[in-house]
Amino acid sequence: LFRGGLAERLCRLQNRERSAISFWRHQCISDAKTHSDKSGVLIVKILEMFEECTIQVAICQQLEQSPATLSSEDAVISAEEPILKVLFARETAAHLKSRPQDVIHIYPPWQKLLLKNEDVPVIMNTYFSQKVLLSEHSESREKTNGLTKMLIRKNIISLAQTFRLDDLNDESCQESSGNQVACAPQIHNNRDLKEHPLAWSAVNDSLLEMVESQGAVGWREVQVRVVIQRAYCLPAKEGYRSHIQGNKPLCPMSNRGMFRRLCLLVQDAYGMFSEVQLQSLSSADNIEQYCRRWEGKFSCLAGMKILQRTTRGRALGLFSLIDSLWPPVVPVKVPGQSQDSEMMTANLPPPSFCYILTVQSGEIHVEVDEEEQNSNLYQPPAVHGLKEILQIDGCNERCSFWARVLYLRLQPKHSVPINQREIWLFVTDSTLQNVVHTTPKVVGVLVAASCVLSKEITEALSVASQLIFFRDALWGNGRIICVERTVLLLQKPLLYSAAGADLSELTGPVRLDELDSTTQTNSVCTLRGIIVGVNESTAFSWPTCDRCGNGKLELCPQDRGLLYCNQCSEFVISPVLKMQLEVFLSCPSRPQSTVKVKVWHKMSFGLFVLINMLLSLQSYEMQSVLGKEVGLLNCYVHSVTSHPNCVGLEEIVLL
Amino acid sequence: MDSTLPAVAEELLKEIKKAFQETSHGRATFSFRLKFIFGPTAVPALDLVDQRSVTRVTSPSGRTAYQVLGSSGKLYTCYSSCHFCTCPAFGFTVLQKSESLLCKHILAVYLSRAMGACQELTVSEEQLTSILLAEEEDEG
Repeated sequence: LFRGGLAERLCRLQNRERSAISFWRHQCISDAKTHSDKSGVLIVKILEMFEECTIQVAICQQLEQSPATLSSEDAVISAEEPILKVLFARETAAHLKSRPQDVIHIYPPWQKLLLKNEDVPVIMNTYFSQKVLLSEHSESREKTNGLTKMLIRKNIISLAQTFRLDDLNDESCQESSGNQVACAPQIHNNRDLKEHPLAWSAVNDSLLEMVESQGAVGWREVQVRVVIQRAYCLPAKEGYRSHIQGNKPLCPMSNRGMFRRLCLLVQDAYGMFSEVQLQSLSSADNIEQYCRRWEGKFSCLAGMKILQRTTRGRALGLFSLIDSLWPPVVPVKVPGQSQDSEMMTANLPPPSFCYILTVQSGEIHVEVDEEEQNSNLYQPPAVHGLKEILQIDGCNERCSFWARVLYLRLQPKHSVPINQREIWLFVTDSTLQNVVHTTPKVVGVLVAASCVLSKEITEALSVASQLIFFRDALWGNGRIICVERTVLLLQKPLLYSAAGADLSELTGPVRLDELDSTTQTNSVCTLRGIIVGVNESTAFSWPTCDRCGNGKLELCPQDRGLLYCNQCSEFVISPVLKMQLEVFLSCPSRPQSTVKVKVWHKMSFGLFVLINMLLSLQSYEMQSVLGKEVGLLNCYVHSVTSHPNCVGLEEIVLL
Repeated sequence: MDSTLPAVAEELLKEIKKAFQETSHGRATFSFRLKFIFGPTAVPALDLVDQRSVTRVTSPSGRTAYQVLGSSGKLYTCYSSCHFCTCPAFGFTVLQKSESLLCKHILAVYLSRAMGACQELTVSEEQLTSILLAEEEDEG
């Protein structure tokens, strides 16, 4: 039998009923013939009998009281007594061995059915029926006739007598609610869900049941109603491919994660999670719209294929996200118990396994009811300030926060294609800026290659300082990392509100930590110091585009004097010359270290002249720069060594 | 005397159709009646409905037939204008012995119609003809 279907349920009811019937009959034999409890008992006298199929139809007269008090002569059909058609099942009829004039007591539960255009009510489900013997006279009659097989007329039903399910409307238009046999990929409209209710055995609320019914006939039609907790993109396994469009050099972050799949983390009414992998998204599709429209809503999944059953130990990333949604905010159902009873959440252990599902190719089997209110089960991400997050005690905790991106850096691993490299974002928020504590003012957030960034985000990041919502980033080992299932969003979704003050607003200009003894590699800081030396070999100058600042101008092959800017797609007539030089500073904030800074942006005239002279191999006077103050510079720390005690930095420009 | 059982069966199916559109409570109570009237056919028919085995086949002229995927994997054809099914149980239980009004496939057709669980298939006139005449070919 199809698991969880109507047939199974009926079977169970039937078994229960059968044992109840045999128990009752057994009781009838052993107890007194007349039962004390008369409520609901139908007392009838059979007038006429015939058979239709295996059902015995008895035209009866309903008696008001037990005819034991009446003599057999009173058994005359009285016009006022109501007539009933009582149906007996084959087994009951065999047990009763009734004949006309017999009086039958029918005990509850029996059912009455009123047919249209007929006056005579039909009594059915007459399993609990008992024949009552009137008197001695009847008993003897019983005995003599007992051995003779009574012939009951059998009505043969015509095959032409079909059943009409509708009274008024044309049947063909009524049944248009049947499902289409899909020949082509179809996307179900949300509206269809309301107008054409699905067959009841098909929609259930247990992912586990759906998974277990896989392989059984008709499993494709099983539908599960779930709540979409999170929507995100996962990099597709097809791998990355980078390509250069025309002559433009590859923008470092374009085409990042070009092949990605939309995935949903869903939860059913029993609290069980599943990750559903849907279609591939082009880079033009923005995950933000799926988050906004779908998260928190109910969805019906159908025709899912199991890709994998994964466990906590094998999918730490997935389970760290599941843990952030545990325990459920509303009570969940307990499996094995009937609907609507016994919901509990307290002390439920977090899930230890999770099914990863995917859709059958070509068809989309996720219907999301976008119009409906959010489910109570939905848990939006808990937004915290960075300061709070840095103080979290634990590893692999998912955290969500708003932050302003100050500076961006690509990891310089040259063996890895540009669009797969890790990106470091240096961010801050008001909780970090406004405190005078040991927490840093700016933290670095690593965006791993597995974290899919939308085109909108990558473009926005390269242009200006952005306020970004980091959803479900991972905190652990003193670092915030954006990994798979972390989503970076630009717009403020309505649901993601921070407790307390608006954490995103920064009052006043952004401040960085000053270079000191606690400064570590891969961070940003400010510094000021006095020049104590220069690294002459690092003197360098290069032209930049006066329009866009592009430092990578190309020499025109025909006319070697002309420079060309790829980003502007134009020649650069008057390039801006930039220079850089590594200088050694003595910084009062970190006096014991040699501080080596590559300066290029904020340059004093003296340094500028010095560089020029170095480059032109002219003799120079170091005196002109030694002892001069440099700063306040914003810098990126790329190396810190203890022996020798040296800090290597590079001047940066904040976004 | 006019027969009783078909009227009862029809009323029951109408009720099922109405109950299906209402609450689950309505759905639960009808199953007892279904069992009573249709006997041992009820559970197998419901199973066929659970598995969405019933397809209404329509041709452009408006003729319809029903195809039911039996539990053995065989496809049976049921007529829409009268009670007829190509399965052996129909021949034996309904025609020969008159022990039942319907076989499980015909009952599954009615139940699927009542619950909106029919699959739909549109075919050409030729295809419908071959469906209706298919049994002769198989036995040949």
